Amino acid sequence: MAIELEALLKLPPEEILVHNEKPTAEQLRHKQQIYYDDVYEGMELPKYIYKPTPTHLFRWSAAIENFHRIHYDLDFGVNHDKNPSILVHGSWKQSVVPQYLKDWSLPNGWPWKARFDHRAMLVPGDILIMWGRVTSKFEKAGLGFVDLDIGMKTQDGVESMPGNATVVLPVRGGRDIPYPFVPPAD
Amino acid sequence: MTEQTRSALTPDVKAMIGVTGEVVEAWGVVDAEYLRRFTQALMDPDPRYWDEDFAKSSRYGEIIAPPIMVSYMSSRTPPYQEDPVTKAFQEDPMSDGIGRVSRHGELSPVPTNLVRVLNAGNELEIYKYPSIGDKIYFQHKYSDIRERVGRDGQPFLIITRETTFTNQKGEVLCITRASTIRR
Repeated sequence: MAIELEALLKLPPEEILVHNEKPTAEQLRHKQQIYYDDVYEGMELPKYIYKPTPTHLFRWSAAIENFHRIHYDLDFGVNHDKNPSILVHGSWKQSVVPQYLKDWSLPNGWPWKARFDHRAMLVPGDILIMWGRVTSKFEKAGLGFVDLDIGMKTQDGVESMPGNATVVLPVRGGRDIPYPFVPPAD
Repeated sequence: MTEQTRSALTPDVKAMIGVTGEVVEAWGVVDAEYLRRFTQALMDPDPRYWDEDFAKSSRYGEIIAPPIMVSYMSSRTPPYQEDPVTKAFQEDPMSDGIGRVSRHGELSPVPTNLVRVLNAGNELEIYKYPSIGDKIYFQHKYSDIRERVGRDGQPFLIITRETTFTNQKGEVLCITRASTIRR
């Protein structure tokens, strides 16, 4: 059974890494559907655990063509911008969010929407825990809507990205979620 | 609050709410190589992004791409434009690497003398996964500008810029909203 977020945060940093629940390609290939019926308030989503290095940051900068030096030039970041080190990109964090929601709702659910703030400066060596927890759910037009609290905590429990999200899950015996997604009218 | 500080949300600032930029075509298309680099940098190994046979058997029936991936296509520099990195360092040898790059479709700045910019949060709505070969179009809009008062009694603005990303069929792929604080 997966460890709960609060318990995870009490572990020494290197032990936190052992509890990474980020799925492999094969696990994503064979992912079993979570149904709306099986979701309950307080339910925790799998925790994705990262420990980014300067090379991860450089690779992200290159992939999205973001040339801001605070993400790869240590001398500039520390001595010019007075940051503690090079900084983990907010753009990477915000790209993890739809990935995280997609993975949880696969194969037939829909990661509809999310909102989140960026707080705290994250640096290489930090252990980052992407987490989510069900706050409520409701059924509408035969579709299951699940509201979540989400975030990305450091090993010290600092919340760097507080936010919330809504995922649409199939209801057992219900209709397919439309694709492209069309939310039901209010 | 004094009369002077009450003026952050001026009529000129309010008039920017709803201002919409032109629809701009991003350089290039969604292609397998960009998808590979993006998803590897994101550390998302989902076979829906690279295994054609598996992707065909999925509900999407084809290789898909992460929706937010296309948002970074909007900041690409077309090859016919002046190199923004070289220009940034010519203007300032201690450039932050970004410089003052002007981009197609960018909105006019909000007319305020509040110059300090802080990130106030992001929103994302997803409607369809991009497909390989998609052309991407984007359009910015000031969807909201609000005034708040800080603990110091000084007003500040929260400016929200909404961007809608569509494909060549006019299908909405995703909508992003980026809010910034101007103090």
